[in-house]
Amino acid sequence: MLKIEDLHVSVEGKEILRGINLEIGAGEVHAIMGPNGSGKSTLSYILAGREGYDITKGRVLFNGKDLLEMSVEERAWAGVFLAFQYPVEVPGVSNIYFLKAALNGIRKYEGLSELDAMDFIATVKGKMKELDMDEKFLYRAVNEGFSGGEKKRNEILQMSVLEPSLCVLDETDSGLDIDALQIVAEGVNRLRDPKRSFVLITHYQRLLDYIKPDFVHVLAHGKVVKSGGPELALELEEQGYAWVDEKKAS
Amino acid sequence: MPVTQLSNAHYASLLEAKQSNLPGQDLDWLNRLRLQATKEFADGGFPSLRDEEWRYTNISPIEKKQFTLSDKAGDVDASFLKGILLDDCHHLVFVDGFYQAGLSSLDALPEGLVVSAISTGLAENEELIRSLFDSVVETPALGFINLNTALFTDGAVISIKEGVQVEKPIQLAFISSKDGALTVSNSRNLILAKSGSKASVIETYHGAEDTCYLTNVITEVVVEPNARLAHSRLQAESLQAYHVGGVYTRLDSNAIFKQYNYTFGATLSRCEVHAELGTASDCDLDGLFISQDQQHMDNHTRVNHAQPHAVSNEFYKGILNDKSKGVFQGRIVVAEDAQKTDAKMSNRNLLLSDRSEIDSKPQLEIYADDVKCAHGVTVGQLDDAAIFYLRSRGASEQMAKDMLTFAFANEMVERIKINPLKIKVLEELLKRLPQEGMKVEWL
Repeated sequence: MLKIEDLHVSVEGKEILRGINLEIGAGEVHAIMGPNGSGKSTLSYILAGREGYDITKGRVLFNGKDLLEMSVEERAWAGVFLAFQYPVEVPGVSNIYFLKAALNGIRKYEGLSELDAMDFIATVKGKMKELDMDEKFLYRAVNEGFSGGEKKRNEILQMSVLEPSLCVLDETDSGLDIDALQIVAEGVNRLRDPKRSFVLITHYQRLLDYIKPDFVHVLAHGKVVKSGGPELALELEEQGYAWVDEKKAS
Repeated sequence: MPVTQLSNAHYASLLEAKQSNLPGQDLDWLNRLRLQATKEFADGGFPSLRDEEWRYTNISPIEKKQFTLSDKAGDVDASFLKGILLDDCHHLVFVDGFYQAGLSSLDALPEGLVVSAISTGLAENEELIRSLFDSVVETPALGFINLNTALFTDGAVISIKEGVQVEKPIQLAFISSKDGALTVSNSRNLILAKSGSKASVIETYHGAEDTCYLTNVITEVVVEPNARLAHSRLQAESLQAYHVGGVYTRLDSNAIFKQYNYTFGATLSRCEVHAELGTASDCDLDGLFISQDQQHMDNHTRVNHAQPHAVSNEFYKGILNDKSKGVFQGRIVVAEDAQKTDAKMSNRNLLLSDRSEIDSKPQLEIYADDVKCAHGVTVGQLDDAAIFYLRSRGASEQMAKDMLTFAFANEMVERIKINPLKIKVLEELLKRLPQEGMKVEWL
């Protein structure tokens, strides 16, 4: 589904990613772990198409298509979804309008007709219940005045409404207490599907107690320095990231 | 003769020519006011760019047009009127400056509420009218005020009795018809909210499409102790029209005044909102203007904290597109005695085109030493982070920008408590900022 080949990315002349190689198959869950400043968030923004990065080398293929050539919205239409580490507040735009606009944008791309408003609202309300979100959030401005946990839940709500095929979760666990983490993780697990892949970007192993990854990669200094199964996350939890620096030193 | 002098002479001569059409000719006090205003106008004329208060707004097109007065109301299409009148309101309709009883609905007025046109209610309400007339509007009078006093043909007089809460809003609908082309409508509204009363008044301004006319209106408002008045203003004039208006309010102690000012129409418009605040009174001034093409929109506010412990909160937003131009001048004066004043003023503007322009000038004059005053002006473009966020969810770039622009404006519409008015303002908004798939009930 996603193939990243020798990806090099710089910001203002400073190289952040230095040759990332990663292949993610349909239905797989990959965790990308690493210390602060390793380039994790940069990787997520590159996949979503944020401006301000120089891609100096390499390519990213999404279902065989050159992802880097696509505009931000084209990626969303094609099924890429980034759950933001810091979801943006959009005063004056209600959640319901935002969700409907997003979903209809995607349906239009897929050649489908617009959803009936009543059906749509019923579907969204069902999903909100699963995420333990109050219905009043529908008519509130997107993320405005939401707590950290509410913002993260709102990201998962959007994900479950838009049903993307590639979900990238950037530090979704940060700022969540244990109950909220559980709710969010359950939301993600409900979306697991043989046709849907996940990239979980996280600093801590904690999230992986609730969402079991198939593969774990360690990112350090802009490179994948180690890949393995779920046991690698436990190893990291025990040893911390210090060995990563040792590895670099050697 | 230069244009200015010619113009002054033209407008001054209208009083003589049209006097028989003006209400209250048999009232000495009113005739004296009209004559004095005519004389002052003949001497002073219209304001010019040299006047500090008018330096960003050139009204010479109004001078050059030499608008005349209508003799009577023109015809208004029933469907046009239907689109203007708000549901669940008492209505007074004025066409080309004349009250139209047949189009108005004043049949079910509640006890304690006096609502009438000046033309028809002058005999009955002379004392009320006389006590309010020229009582709040500031002197020395400026050109447009003089013109209004000299030539006003009609307007509304509203009085709410002590302690009465009026449930339905009162809509004053000012309409310019096709027959009113190249005329000026001078209207004068007088509102008195007596002690402890509560009411809501809405002024709306509309005109026949592609018709050039001038609306010159003044509203004087007195809010007595502990009374509460909400006053809204929707200016959606024809895009060929000129509009000069003012709302002048005096708040007595503990009075509450909420003013909502929505400006969408006219090729050139100027609106004054002035409030003089009594002890511990509370005044909100909200405004939204959206300009397109070559529209020029000028909003002037003045909040005069004359007494202690009053609170004022002013928030104006502007969206400027194409080659349009906006002006915001907000002035807060805190008198020496007005200790414990709490005054805030904010003006935020969104420039959608690099050819649009805003001149924003907040002014604070503070003579007291124990006060809280804050002001801020921003001029900006849309937030890139928000655009990216919306696009990452599947909104096209254009749609994301449209949504954010709409959202910027909608913040001011959400403040409207009267649902029929809110819907009307949203409709005006959507005409100017189209949104794909937007449903009004989601807002």
